[in-house]
Amino acid sequence: MIRLAFIGQATTAEAYGSIRTQLHRASWTAFAPIDIADGQDGRPLGQVVTVASPKVLFAEHTNDFDAVVIDAAFGQAENLVDAASTASKPTLASPLLANPSTLSPASPLFMPAHTWRFLPSIRAIKRSLDSGKLGEPGLLRIHRWLPLTASPQTLAERILPDTDLACWMFDGEPEKIWTLQSSDNPNYIQFHLGYANDRMAMIDITSSLPAGCDYFSLSIIGGAGAAYADDHHNMNLIYTGSQPNALLINQGRTDLAGQLQEFVDAIHEQRPAAVILEDATRANAVSEQIIASAKLNQVIERKENN
Amino acid sequence: MADPQKKFRAAVLSVVKHDYLPMAVAAHPRFELVVVADDAGSPDWVHERNQQFADKSGIPYVRDVAKTFTDYDLDLAVVSSEAERHCDLAVRATDAQLHVIADKPMSTRLSDCDRLVEAVQRNKVKFLLWNRNLLPAVIQTNEAIQSGAIGQLQAIHIDFYFSKDAGPTKGTRQPGDPPINWLDHQIEAHADGSDGGVGIEAVGELQIEGVYPLGYIRMLTGANVRRVFTRTATHFHQANVDNSVDDLATVSLELDRGIVGSLCIGRIGASSHPDIGEIKIHAIGSKGGLVIAEARPEVSIYYRDQPPAEFKNERVANENDFLLMDNFAHALDTDCEPILNAKDGRDIAATVFAALESSKTGQPVEVPY
Repeated sequence: MIRLAFIGQATTAEAYGSIRTQLHRASWTAFAPIDIADGQDGRPLGQVVTVASPKVLFAEHTNDFDAVVIDAAFGQAENLVDAASTASKPTLASPLLANPSTLSPASPLFMPAHTWRFLPSIRAIKRSLDSGKLGEPGLLRIHRWLPLTASPQTLAERILPDTDLACWMFDGEPEKIWTLQSSDNPNYIQFHLGYANDRMAMIDITSSLPAGCDYFSLSIIGGAGAAYADDHHNMNLIYTGSQPNALLINQGRTDLAGQLQEFVDAIHEQRPAAVILEDATRANAVSEQIIASAKLNQVIERKENN
Repeated sequence: MADPQKKFRAAVLSVVKHDYLPMAVAAHPRFELVVVADDAGSPDWVHERNQQFADKSGIPYVRDVAKTFTDYDLDLAVVSSEAERHCDLAVRATDAQLHVIADKPMSTRLSDCDRLVEAVQRNKVKFLLWNRNLLPAVIQTNEAIQSGAIGQLQAIHIDFYFSKDAGPTKGTRQPGDPPINWLDHQIEAHADGSDGGVGIEAVGELQIEGVYPLGYIRMLTGANVRRVFTRTATHFHQANVDNSVDDLATVSLELDRGIVGSLCIGRIGASSHPDIGEIKIHAIGSKGGLVIAEARPEVSIYYRDQPPAEFKNERVANENDFLLMDNFAHALDTDCEPILNAKDGRDIAATVFAALESSKTGQPVEVPY
């Protein structure tokens, strides 16, 4: 049984607490709030030792857990990953915008939290792709629209998930990048990625929807088939007068559960996790180039590095 | 205003592709087909198809276009020839003071499109480039945007995938086999309706079908595309590989008024969708977003021994053809412009040619106006 410590906010602890009964071969044993105001709010995780801070966790409680899950803001996460690495604890950590300085090939298992890869729809599509059913992927199309209140703060954070999905689906880095932004909407970006062998991705992301539901659509067109994951297809209707309203079906937190189980399984099986530091490094590097293309108003050309 | 009861007499100038265009004209009560015409020097297969259509329609086939113009008291010409002849036939018709309805693509050369725009203006006639702008879902999109439902339009995206095959799949040509001849392939493809690019000059999907999504964008935004960046691929069909034309493309668009957008288009193979393909419109405005399935409304029909190639979801309430012809009749009656006129068609063609250039250079390309 792997003993897990959680470093993060109480709201995220609640999310992890809601899936704790789904977890095999692991349980929560410690909680360190990032926000001191969260106090004892690690209770949703179950019977855990709650410490005052991550610093205290690593200084005084390393015997209380075998591995650590970190959910922290960019910048903060890198330092915590360094601390976990120094303590030789396998780590699952928030998406990173920089590589932790202490990680090396000899470091304990490290898994960047790319939760978007574990969405049920994305997993189904990736399985189809990996099985060869769709043939060689040729085009990836993503529309991701979010309310500003539900969006990450920085542009780099907003584009990271879909940049990673594109590189993951095409198993490489783009050779060409062309980005457009809207002069009227600073929360809008679209980027056009060209991969080797004429493969391509077209992605638009906006954080300007009114408060409320978000929208996500991903299509991948392969040489032998295509897959479509579209919120539009997964709406039900409610009639309360005038035009009906659409209700997006809740897909639960199987993404979080799947990611955490993969982390635990990788530790148990002493193998690399399904997401590794190089994936995060690649996605970050491409994201930087996407933003650079917009700033420079230029096509960014990269030599594929696979 | 002209006589609203007048029935317009149309000549069909070549009908070598699917016959949806002249049939749509014939189906409208304000129009009648009176003759099929083509040049005497056209190849035999063209004459055969023209004759077949004339016989089916119960009208004569004349192998002399100019003579038809003088002998049949015509009001308009319906051009449905090989792509590279569209503009030439249309210009000859306009010079005979005939209005014109032409199939897409407008031409395989931008210079031809410019020539046609000039001829239409000089002869003060009307020109309609066939399009899908009056599909029910597209009308709904337009109404939503024009009503301000999503505020000021900021971005528009069209996904336009035709899940049709087009002959042998990529990679199936055996060593020693000759490359597929484009025209021969298109002639053979007539049987299953996948001969959208019929002509001597090979044309990719961006050229064949691009007018549809770009027509949506033009109508929905009322803006010209200023610059494009494009990736193209031959991902599916051996005929496209052998003739170096795309069957998959993505285009980034910069339009007037700061609007941005994109187009994903392809002929992605029949196995890729249960129906004709995933065709969607996504629009973002200052107050929200809009997601539209272009194929709706539709009904689903399944039954034992259903042919695999039969669409299981059938579009219904599709009055696009009728409404286009109504729109054209209105243009003739009131001397206003039809929904996609020669200048619109030319500007869309210019966008397509700029996109194709961008795909070759790997750089953004300005659209020439």
